[in-house]
Amino acid sequence: MWLKAWRESRMRFLATALSLSALCAVAVLSEPYIRQHQVPIALRLREGSYSEYIYNLIYSGMAKGLYALLVIFLGLGELQRERATRTAGFTLSLPVSRLRVVGTQVAVGTVELAALASVPAILIPALSAFLHRSYPLPIALHFSVLWFFGGMIIFAASFLLSVVTPGEYTAPVACYLALVLHTFVAAWHPLAGYRLNLMWVMGEFQTMRWNVAHTLLLPPPLSWLRMCVMACFALLLLSAAIRVTNKQDY
Amino acid sequence: MMLLYKAWLESRARFLLGLLALAGLSAVFVLFNQDVRTVVTDHDMSYVEYIWRGIFKGQLRDIYVILTLLLGLGGLDRERSYGTAGHTLALPVSRWRLIAARGLTGIVETAVLAILPASLVPALSPFVHESYSWLLAFQFGALWTIGGTLIFAIGFLASVLVAGEYSAAVAALVFLFGYSITTDLPGMEHYLVDIHDVMNGSGPHDISTLAAISVTAAAMIWFGGLITSRKDY
Repeated sequence: MWLKAWRESRMRFLATALSLSALCAVAVLSEPYIRQHQVPIALRLREGSYSEYIYNLIYSGMAKGLYALLVIFLGLGELQRERATRTAGFTLSLPVSRLRVVGTQVAVGTVELAALASVPAILIPALSAFLHRSYPLPIALHFSVLWFFGGMIIFAASFLLSVVTPGEYTAPVACYLALVLHTFVAAWHPLAGYRLNLMWVMGEFQTMRWNVAHTLLLPPPLSWLRMCVMACFALLLLSAAIRVTNKQDY
Repeated sequence: MMLLYKAWLESRARFLLGLLALAGLSAVFVLFNQDVRTVVTDHDMSYVEYIWRGIFKGQLRDIYVILTLLLGLGGLDRERSYGTAGHTLALPVSRWRLIAARGLTGIVETAVLAILPASLVPALSPFVHESYSWLLAFQFGALWTIGGTLIFAIGFLASVLVAGEYSAAVAALVFLFGYSITTDLPGMEHYLVDIHDVMNGSGPHDISTLAAISVTAAAMIWFGGLITSRKDY
């Protein structure tokens, strides 16, 4: 079951991992070039410290957007797709419960998500050393944790939508729109104080602060309570998806 | 006509979702402009600049780009994995006609999605005692349509070149990200047109540029058709 789930998602996972790796590598290795020239994507990055550059381009910039977008495709459920390709019968005739079929897909997806969230944490401190720069590993890991839990919610939402919506491209469109619309709902005055914007949470938007020497942008301490709430919400979405899958007629 | 209907049935859920989202968000941007302004920017600006930053250049344009990319996906390769490609290919029409019907339906949907905010913004503005030029709005609508057609063509070509349903979408998105970064590099403006700048009106949008973009989009769809016509399903 594990091998099956891996084989079905590996193309999407590898494409996402490669893209994120390439973006991180380009961002770090071309830093002197980007900061010297007037590059439109990085106009605001010309001034400031290296950590600010990395934060604006990776953790609060394009890499975060790319990660959030591609995780949507990682979460798309397989049984629904298999029904369309008429192979669901073979999978369901295996001597395992539906819960195990879906549970394995979710578990493999979660491991893939953790690996993807770790990509910048592995690459950025390592590649920075080549340019005689340094980016602290604890900060990189801090963002990996945020990306993992944020990614879990996107993954779970995508998984649920792929179970309840018809057509294979309806779910990603619906999930993307939900991701955009929630940012508007989160900005609504009565809710604004709760910081419900997932993209803000993943990027520590407006909560970063400078160190005493004004050389390093530091995130606030990780709120494990918030991570627990995010994990619970993701589990709630996944449970709903599993419940629907159990009752569906394939 | 029936081929167009078939292409419409295959893409309507994506299209209608996108239509609803763009219509709803355009209305929110205009009717709640005082509240949304703080999300778009942190400094004072005129209503016209706010609409440009929020809709024609900003968040709404980003949504439109992703939607048109996803509209381009589908086609005979998808049908092959469903086992229905044989039924479609058994119809008494050429593969080129199948491709043309899907391309035409997608381009019309792309144009409708582009024209929607351009119509809603000037129409709704008087409700909040503001005004927005219809001419200006439709100029952006036209730029979005032409830019959107190229992005649709990227999705269309990806769906032909990359096997696997979701892999095509991932490949198209990654390509679009790569393209967007490349066009922003210094000196690239001499070799590549930045479609995002063209769509938001800050890049070149003379007739020759728009014609070149349209021809490129048509060539990509034609290339997709060429590959499809030679493939063994």
